Parts: sequence; C-alpha cells; structure tokens
Amino acid sequence: MVEGCKNLVRLMDIGLEKLKNIIVEMGEYSAKTVFLAIDSYLNDQDLMEQLYISAQEIRKMQEEINELAVEMIARYQPVASDLRFLKSCIEIGYGFSRFGRYAFDIAQVLRIFGKLTSCNKESVDNAGKHVKDMIKTSIEAFIEKNIEKAKKVKEMDTYIDKIYLNSLKKAAQMKENQIKCIVSEVLILRYLERIADHATYIADSTIYIVTGEKIPKYTL
Amino acid sequence: MGREIISLSSRVRKEDETDHIYKIKTENLNAWFGTKQALKDINIKIRKNAITAIIGPSGCGKSTLIRCLNRMHELVPSAKVSGKVYIDGIDIYSKNVDPVIVRRKVGMVFQKPNPFPTMSIYDNVAAGLKLNGIRDRKKLDEIVKKSLEQAWLWDEVKNDLDKPGSSLSGGQQQRLCIARALAVEPEVLLLDEPTSALDPIAASKIEQLIVSLKKDYTIVIVTHNMQQAARVSDYTAFLYLGRLIEYDETAKIFSNPKEELTENYIAGRFG
Repeated sequence: MVEGCKNLVRLMDIGLEKLKNIIVEMGEYSAKTVFLAIDSYLNDQDLMEQLYISAQEIRKMQEEINELAVEMIARYQPVASDLRFLKSCIEIGYGFSRFGRYAFDIAQVLRIFGKLTSCNKESVDNAGKHVKDMIKTSIEAFIEKNIEKAKKVKEMDTYIDKIYLNSLKKAAQMKENQIKCIVSEVLILRYLERIADHATYIADSTIYIVTGEKIPKYTL
Repeated sequence: MGREIISLSSRVRKEDETDHIYKIKTENLNAWFGTKQALKDINIKIRKNAITAIIGPSGCGKSTLIRCLNRMHELVPSAKVSGKVYIDGIDIYSKNVDPVIVRRKVGMVFQKPNPFPTMSIYDNVAAGLKLNGIRDRKKLDEIVKKSLEQAWLWDEVKNDLDKPGSSLSGGQQQRLCIARALAVEPEVLLLDEPTSALDPIAASKIEQLIVSLKKDYTIVIVTHNMQQAARVSDYTAFLYLGRLIEYDETAKIFSNPKEELTENYIAGRFG
C-alpha cells in the first residue's frame, strides 16, 4: 500500500457500493413479495393486483442493476473479485426478479381456482416456511459474504424438491373430486420449488464472489 | 571473439520432455544495478507462440527481466546477473554463447519509437540485414517488403520507402521499429511498453499486430496498462519488488487471481 493513498476511495467502489445497496433493497422487497404470496394462499386472500405491481417493481430494479453493472464494466473495466461481483449482481438480480414473477403466479392460482378453504394446505405451509428461510439465508449470505450460509441454502433446496415430488406422486393417485386442491397445491409447490432453486443460485453467486468457484446450475 | 556460435533453436534438452512447449525458461534469475537488487530468484517458463505479459508497479523489475532475456541488462555499467536463462534449452549466459547472436534471435522494441532518424524507411528495415552481411539488393527488397507487411505498414509506406523514418507518425514509427526487429528473423520478440507513447488508435493497431505475430514468434510484453495485458496476452506474470508473485493464464489472473497482492494490484487498490 502506498503511503498517503490509504484513504483514497477507488471510483469503482462508489458504484459497487451503490449496486450492493440496490441488491439488498431488491432482495428484501422480493422476499416480502414471496412471503405475501404464500400467506395469501394459506389465508385464501386474493392479492393478484398488488402482487402484479410488486413483481413489476422488482423487474424495474433488475433493469437498474443491469444498467449500472454494464455502465461500470464500460467505465472501469473491472477485474478479479470486482468482475465476479458484477457478474453475480446481474445473476442475483435475475434470481430476485424470478421471485417476483413466481409470487405473481401463486396469486394467479388463487384467482383462477377461487376459494380453497377446504383444502389441506399443510404441504404448502411447510414448503412456504422453508422457502422463506432459504430466501432470508441467501440474502444474508450475500450481504455478509458468508460461504457457510450460502452452503446451507443449497442443502435446504433438497427438502423442497422432496415435498414437490411427493405432491406430484399424491396427485397421480387422487380422486376426481379432489382435483382442484391437488392441482393448486402442485402448481404452488412447483413455483416454490423454482423460487428455492433461484435462492440456491443466489447462494452460489455468493460462493463465486468470495472464492471464484463456479457452481454448475444444471445438475440432475 | 573465438566463441562457438550456437543456434538457439537447434537443440532441446532431453531431460525435460515437457520443455518443448516452452521457448524460454529462467532458473533462480537475479539481477542487480550496483548494489541494488532488481530481480530476486525469478523462475518462469515462457510458452512458444504465445504472448506473455509482464505487469507490476514501477520499479518492480519488469523491464530488467526482459532485458535479461536477450542479455541487454549486462550492457548497463555496474549491472550484474546470476542464475540461468534458457532459450530452447540453451543457457544464453554460458561462456560459449555469443550475446550478439542472442540479441539477433531475441528482438526488442522499446517504449519510444526510435527509428534511425537519418535513414530512409527502407534502410531502417534493412539496417540489421546489412550488418549481418546481406548485400544482395533483390534479397533485401524481399525481406524489407515482407517485414513491412508483417508489421502492417507496407500499404502505408510502399510509395515512400526513400523518405526518412522520422517523417512517419508515432504509431507508424513504432510499426517501423517492429518491422526492423522482424527483418533479422528473430524467434522471440520482447516489447517494452510498446504503446505507452502512442494515441489509443495507434496503440490499438499495435495490439492487433502483436496478436497477429504470435503464430510465428514467442512474444513477451511489458506493460503498465492492465487492460492491454488482459486484451492481448495469453499468460500474465505479476512482479512486485523484484519477485515473481503470480504467473498464470491471463484469464485466470484477471478473473480469479490466487494471490491477494495480485488482486490488489490489478484491481487498482495500490500501485
């Protein structure tokens, strides 16, 4: 370190800090949106319009992240951990935008199927709690650059996959009069499963920022 | 005089089979200016037909390192070298190697374009050939044309070969210097900050030229410009305080360096 330069802030750091703040804000907002969608299903509350607006807001934030990241690449030609951070911000922004989209899809199920008061919602309740935890942990891992938390998210994903597959198997054996409950359940669990996958990708991005290790997304 | 002249490309040492992919190899290379040590135990293998960039802050030993690769360092009074530098398996500092032959095989281009000011464009390129005893006009014409073509300058100067080299623009002068270096058919080209005195357009042309040359030459480039190293090189070596801190594929160095010192330097956190 050159003496006298210790307090100098790199121009790029100002942009990186701004980008991090948008990601954190977007993460919290998209998490709230997913939580609201899960609760709306559990409580039979039709919030489609509200969730549509939230999903749109999240999309705008994603655009903002992409534009800022591209501008920073053009201005500062980042390398090493700066470059990995920018690449990951773009991927994380996409992940959060999918949270918004699936939250809206959950709301749509309720709108199309109508009241589902008589349905057993235990599986969705279980999966919902788990997905909420995954989202919170993936955001914390990013903020704290915490690899342990990021790895925990990956482990949690297996549980959601299992609930979804069990539900699918249950659907295959269902009688016709129970079809409405099971289709809505399978659909919502499918969306939750996708949300869980994106929370895992966000966690993978944190691992990439910290260690440079790339984790393949598409594994069977 | 009286030295046995050894062709640098004729032999590959048998004991290391993997050596054939490397053109240059140093072993515990140290260099001094008087009592000041400029290089400390440098061990590096430089690949054939690839571009290797040497980066690092001012005074880290970048230029000294490449000047040790063609025995130019020893031309400085009080300069000293220890350790080994092998080119094609031959130690270029061994007693029976003629430094003039080394410098012919390992050409060099400097930061500031330095064509011979009183010589014509043609004579600038032909100067090294004439020094080597080539007088046949037809042969000289052929090599001058080929060298200027390789340096992407022929189309711009073919009707002005009699004009002085100094009449060209900075970027053209630098390409003339590259043509001059290529004319004596070197195997290695050392470039010491070849674009730092040029405008961005001229610099970009030189960068494209350097990349086009690697199919025929082994190229080592010293640069202060990190983006230039990232754009043109296949391998990057980071030097700090005379030591080789990290050496790897350029893509790895610029996306995921292993050493924190490298990360801090290339990310502009010091230097």
